Amino acid sequence: MEEELINIKNTALSFILEAEDLKTLEEVKLQFLGRSGKLTLKIKDITKISAEKRKEVGMLANEVKNTIEDAIKQREVNLKHKTEKVLRQKIDVSNPGIKPPLGHLHLVTQAIEEISSIFEKIGFIRARYPEIEWDWYAFTALNFPQNHPARDDWETFFIKEKPSPEKGQMVLTPHTSSGQVREMERTVAKRKELARERSATGVDDGISIRMLNIAKCYRRQSDVSHTPMFHQFEGLVVGENISIVNLKGTLDYFVKSYFGEKRKSRIRPYHFQFTEPSFEVDVTCGVCLGKGCKLCKAGWLELGGAGMVHPNVFKATGIDPKKYTGFAFGWGVERVLMMKDGIEIDDLRLLYSNKLEFLEQF
Amino acid sequence: MNIKILDSWLRDYVKTPATAREIAEKLSLTSVSVEKLEKYNDDFIYEIEVTTNRPDLMSILGIARETATILNHLGIKAEFMPLKLPKPDTKGLANFIEIKNNPKLVNRICAVVMEVKVKDSPQFLKERLETSDIRSLNNLIDVTNYVMRTTGHPAHVFDFDRLSSKTLTIKEAARGNRIKTLDGKEHLLFGGEIVAVNDRNEIVDLLGIMGLQNSVVTSNTKRILYFIDNNDKFHIRKASMSLGVRSEAAILNEKGLDAELACEALLYGIKLFEQIAGGKVISEIIDIYPNKTLDAEIDVSQSKINSVIGINIPLSISSKILSDLGFENKISGDRLKVKIPSFRSTDIEIEEDIIEEIARIYGYHNLPSKLPSIQFSITNNSVINEFFFEKRVKDALKYWGFTECYTYSMVSAQLLEGPEQEAVTIQNPLNEDLTYMRKALVPSLLKVVSDNKKHHEIKIFELAKVYLKESNGLPKEISTLAGVIKKTNASFYEVKGLIEQLLTDLGIRNLAFKNSQKGGLGASIYVEKEYLGEIEVLDDSLIDFEINFETVLKFANLKKEYKPLNKYPPLIEDISVVVDSDIKTEVLIAEIKKQSELITDVTLADKFGDSRTFHIVYQHPDKNLTNEDVAKIRKQIITSLKENFKASIK
Repeated sequence: MEEELINIKNTALSFILEAEDLKTLEEVKLQFLGRSGKLTLKIKDITKISAEKRKEVGMLANEVKNTIEDAIKQREVNLKHKTEKVLRQKIDVSNPGIKPPLGHLHLVTQAIEEISSIFEKIGFIRARYPEIEWDWYAFTALNFPQNHPARDDWETFFIKEKPSPEKGQMVLTPHTSSGQVREMERTVAKRKELARERSATGVDDGISIRMLNIAKCYRRQSDVSHTPMFHQFEGLVVGENISIVNLKGTLDYFVKSYFGEKRKSRIRPYHFQFTEPSFEVDVTCGVCLGKGCKLCKAGWLELGGAGMVHPNVFKATGIDPKKYTGFAFGWGVERVLMMKDGIEIDDLRLLYSNKLEFLEQF
Repeated sequence: MNIKILDSWLRDYVKTPATAREIAEKLSLTSVSVEKLEKYNDDFIYEIEVTTNRPDLMSILGIARETATILNHLGIKAEFMPLKLPKPDTKGLANFIEIKNNPKLVNRICAVVMEVKVKDSPQFLKERLETSDIRSLNNLIDVTNYVMRTTGHPAHVFDFDRLSSKTLTIKEAARGNRIKTLDGKEHLLFGGEIVAVNDRNEIVDLLGIMGLQNSVVTSNTKRILYFIDNNDKFHIRKASMSLGVRSEAAILNEKGLDAELACEALLYGIKLFEQIAGGKVISEIIDIYPNKTLDAEIDVSQSKINSVIGINIPLSISSKILSDLGFENKISGDRLKVKIPSFRSTDIEIEEDIIEEIARIYGYHNLPSKLPSIQFSITNNSVINEFFFEKRVKDALKYWGFTECYTYSMVSAQLLEGPEQEAVTIQNPLNEDLTYMRKALVPSLLKVVSDNKKHHEIKIFELAKVYLKESNGLPKEISTLAGVIKKTNASFYEVKGLIEQLLTDLGIRNLAFKNSQKGGLGASIYVEKEYLGEIEVLDDSLIDFEINFETVLKFANLKKEYKPLNKYPPLIEDISVVVDSDIKTEVLIAEIKKQSELITDVTLADKFGDSRTFHIVYQHPDKNLTNEDVAKIRKQIITSLKENFKASIK
């Protein structure tokens, strides 16, 4: 019994010394002196031992209890003192903080993430298709005639490989619109597959596409406002009764989400091979909000092209243009980025210069 | 194509109270974009961008017709006043010249011989041409340009006496012919250009592109052959591009012009020569017209109009819009039968083209905006979504202090770091530095490091594609993640730890690091025996890594597994052993773990010289472990390490 009491004392003392804060110390106190604490229980046991020994053991138990209580008190004072010491020290709040590491995502990545999240909320699904493409996807299926200037050597990069008899030359895709053809082909193929699976029921969901294709594109030019590699984001919506009214709704939603609630969008007639009707999309200038100022064209800034999917594109991909309509838009990621407040970069090539002084600004 | 025209010139053909500013604004919204409206004395100059499908709008008359239609539909009164030109009386006049046409080359030729007096043009005409960016030369040349600007059809004038020929034969030029255009430049023909030759087989005109010096009017010209040629557009584009002669006539002719306009251009020119050059018609009017534009008709249904535009526009409105634009049409039931006027025959081919005309004049700004209704046919599971994991990895690297780079996919032979014939190669590169499609990202990143010499500590990464040539078909494009760390005493273990944490965050376990298969200092990384990539130590301050991100995606997952929390505390101890440094830590750890199921974790806590300290965690799921329990296992560990690896225990 005596030995056990001594053991309890030693263990308790070492715990008390190890307690680094008041909360732990309180726990230690409970563990030994609480109602079901180790010492409390042991003291209760004293009644069980013989009467002649009881007194001696009782005294020892008391001594142990006092020692532990004193040690706790002492430790309590020390710990409080320590806290006070910490609180009394001087802090120069202007000294630098100790920072966790923080790198930088490229501006293009930041723009892509923002654009993606805006379109995801209205049901667009991201896609990505080959950067090295067949002429078929980049031009022919998009209704470009064989002798169209876009196929000129000084506009598009061609790959030194044998052309495919069916799909033509290999090119670096000059726009994300090639992804329209890929997406439509994929959807048609998937629909056929599903149709086979449930041929018994004859149910057909029809064609429904909401694609957001963001990818690298390449054109053979390099100057302050062009880089040979750049990024586009392409929206494609196909279904029954998809209309110009829906395109306008989507543009308004994007413009307000990306540029701010005060900005407005408009569409004007334009001409592209793969859309009919085709539009040029404008946004009100962020500085004058449409009134007209030195920085804009009578209040408006050009954002990029859009239009209703040309029936020849539907035909090329196996979609019935009598049944379905659709709209598409394809804009430069760099372009919308530069139209944001505070990012008027004077030379676009800086984006791809990888100067750390530049990258670390964002 | 841009065209600049004076407001007062436009108003010769449109009667309207609308201001120039209103006209510019309405045109931009519904037709062509007015890029600039510039004040010019009491007048205005419109600078208009015309899309390539609308060469008919490269003219005062074309813009006037659009302006009148648009203003009317947007509620401002306007009237289009087309040219009214009587045919001159040529009864009894002789025929001076025979023109032999080739209908494969020229659709229509209208020509006439006139007596004229060469002089300066009157001031108003000079001003109109010059504000339209056309230089005024003399009244004869000026008339041809004025006709072109007004009608949209180029015109040409020969000195009839300098031609001194009874015939003019239209043919394709042979390769190697030399000509001198009227701007004084010599050209060697490639063959296939449309030319006119005289009796002596001398080339006297490069049709549709530019006149020649040997037949051009001079200050002595007395008689002219006034000549309108409507040419095959493909011949014109090819010739103009290969000769590098981009005259306004060529730019118009290559778009394909309305042959019906040729006669109008001829008659208008005759009238102008009479007015400003004392002109007198002295020959019959020649009109050779083998390729008449066929009358086309397009049927449009009310339901198609509605489904493309998105609102209901009554057929009566659509019909009115089209007739104002010059399309004869008839409503028949719920359809509209539309005749295509010759001046729109090149750009109006299908139903959708007609719908565009209706929608734009109705006014895109008058249409409501409405998001398409949501119809999900595709589910969106993050596990199969590459974009989800890309973002996760990029964010992790950013918060670990890395800066993201975007370098070009095209590289120089030097950055390619491999045999050039094995790389996807650009046939028409912009320059030598951008010739090959890269097969690895690290060389580009190392270049970024060397381009940023001033920085002593650099941590960069890029996630992009590499391109591998295939023997058949498109190259393989493989999404790849690479990074470079530059700092004094860079450690291999830092990069290894980075890869481990990055992949752990994507739920990938079973990673293995083996001595680099490439032979250098570093490691090859594997996931479940599949090769993932490399860590490469370049020197004591430069380490890079490159991993196949598609393999990463194959293993990435969001699976989480719950294990009940342990009720009993673990016992933890460190054991230090001295073993041959060639024996890998992972081998020792495996050996230790093998000794008992109660060992739940073994990690290398410290390494100093030959001595390695292992941190060992013992834990029993159902009871408190005692010192005796652990002592037994410890003994086993020590024995096995001694026996198998000749370890000594400290």
